[in-house]
Amino acid sequence: MDAVLLTQSLISGIMMGMVYALLSVGFSLTWGVMHVIHISHAAFGLLGAYVAYSLLEYFGVDPIVSAAVSVPLLFLLACGVYQLLIKPITKAKEVIVASMILTFGLAIILENVMVLIWKADPRIMTPTYSSGALIVGPLYFQYPHLVGFGLSIVGITAIYLFLQKTYTGMAVRAAWQQPEAAQLYGVNLYRISMITFALAVSTAGAGGISLALLNSFEPHSHNLWLIYLFLVVIVGGVGNVVGTALAGLIIGVITGLSMALLPFQWVNLVTFGLLMVFLIFRPHGLFKQGV
Amino acid sequence: MEKYRLTAMAILIAMLAAFPFLEPQVYYLSFMFSVFMYVILASSWNFIGGYAGYLSFGHAAFFGIGAFATAKIAAVFDLSPVLTILATIPAGAIAALVALIIGYPCLKIRGPYFAVVTLCFAFVVDLAVKNIEFLGGAEGIWMKIMDVPEKLSRSIMYEVMLLLMVVTLGVAWWLGRSRLGAGLRAIRSDEEVAETMGIPTAKIKIQAFILSAFFPGIAGGLFAYYLTYIHADVVFNISISILIVLMAMFGGGGTWLGPIIGAVILTVVNEGLSTFAQAEIARIIYGALFIVVTIFMPNGIIDFFRKKGGG
Repeated sequence: MDAVLLTQSLISGIMMGMVYALLSVGFSLTWGVMHVIHISHAAFGLLGAYVAYSLLEYFGVDPIVSAAVSVPLLFLLACGVYQLLIKPITKAKEVIVASMILTFGLAIILENVMVLIWKADPRIMTPTYSSGALIVGPLYFQYPHLVGFGLSIVGITAIYLFLQKTYTGMAVRAAWQQPEAAQLYGVNLYRISMITFALAVSTAGAGGISLALLNSFEPHSHNLWLIYLFLVVIVGGVGNVVGTALAGLIIGVITGLSMALLPFQWVNLVTFGLLMVFLIFRPHGLFKQGV
Repeated sequence: MEKYRLTAMAILIAMLAAFPFLEPQVYYLSFMFSVFMYVILASSWNFIGGYAGYLSFGHAAFFGIGAFATAKIAAVFDLSPVLTILATIPAGAIAALVALIIGYPCLKIRGPYFAVVTLCFAFVVDLAVKNIEFLGGAEGIWMKIMDVPEKLSRSIMYEVMLLLMVVTLGVAWWLGRSRLGAGLRAIRSDEEVAETMGIPTAKIKIQAFILSAFFPGIAGGLFAYYLTYIHADVVFNISISILIVLMAMFGGGGTWLGPIIGAVILTVVNEGLSTFAQAEIARIIYGALFIVVTIFMPNGIIDFFRKKGGG
């Protein structure tokens, strides 16, 4: 095996993994804090990618710049979705099941709206620097990949700092660890849930933009993304931000290396096989600590 | 009361069985065939998912295993049509055997983690079948076509699927009233307490899982023979797995009638929408249906009407 090729695939695995982590962190939070398994999470990420794509194609706005607009917009949209759809089901006997069915419906709607607006053809994000690459010795990094990687690091760090340092973030963590006690201390659970949900959806948007800088995408892509969400969140431990970031890296490296070492059709088999074995032996993730 | 119910059901089954003799168009036979199939899938999923609360998101795997096993058995032994239909029973047994092997480690995991591990299991089986040349690999398998007019062959398959549905629903009826069913319900409400009360939880979970894999395996075999061509993308499709769960939960998990209602409504709606509306619009309405039903009937249709009726 060629050492250069190995290093190259290791590094692209790390980049990919960081992007998976950003895409997953919100999924992990809604699951951990609200007991809502948000099946349309990846579809919202894809929506973010498509908005960025259109802004780039028609107005020439760079994805990073437009993210500053589209991510807050997704935040507002998600607040509306929470009030209208998620809040009514929090009283169901089994919130997890009800939320899965409801958001599955939402994912179908989003997917087909995207087909109607953007057609089913695969798209590629082509910012001005798309053909450029950073060359370090024998290694080669395309600029869009570096930008996507950078955006994910910023996103993950931001959400980590929000949870650790801000008052609202601490309330989110409190609501996760002890909902009743948090309520006694004056935490409004509905407000916290709305913020968590909206925040999660906006990180999905940012993650979608990052992933779109690395890979091509189409309206059905969110199904595969969703599988990776589950993968990363389970390995990282539900509700655990640092765990999610590490799990993203681990899974990115595993897929990166198996792409270099194995025939293409075996890559997914290895990934899912590993996850299965993992789940059987460590169902609560690699890392114990929560949020 | 019981007696009237049984009579009503017997009449309904007889009417369904008589339907092909009215010489309907093949379209209606095909449609009813898929209604029966989904009722079987949702009802048998209910054994483990509804009663015990172990949401399997990989039930398409058993359906697909049954399909491939039937196709392979028929090809290897060069079976006649009647024997091919009978070969779906050992194919179902193979699906049940896989359920035993996979269920042993997986049923120790609870909650959403079980859902994810079964989802992965379905992916692994799908990818493995695609990569194994012996099972047709990426090309799929063709089966020998029944040597009779189309309408007759469709009618035969219709009757066989109906028979399987009646058997499955019979087992579901029995399960709902048996000790096994009571044990599974106890597991659903609190597994620790069930264990303390001396219910052999590990054993009955496996039993329910095996049963819930057996019937989808047979249904998969019949489906394969109905299409006469199978491909991993068709029978291991993840959306079949999800659809099964949705149908059962939509109607009401853990009840006898719930999965039947869910499967019938969703199959009819799906078919109706795709006939009368543009594909994307149809899907959007379909998605909205899930949202509306979950908001207004978060515990399933059955539960909603029971509450209404019982006050």
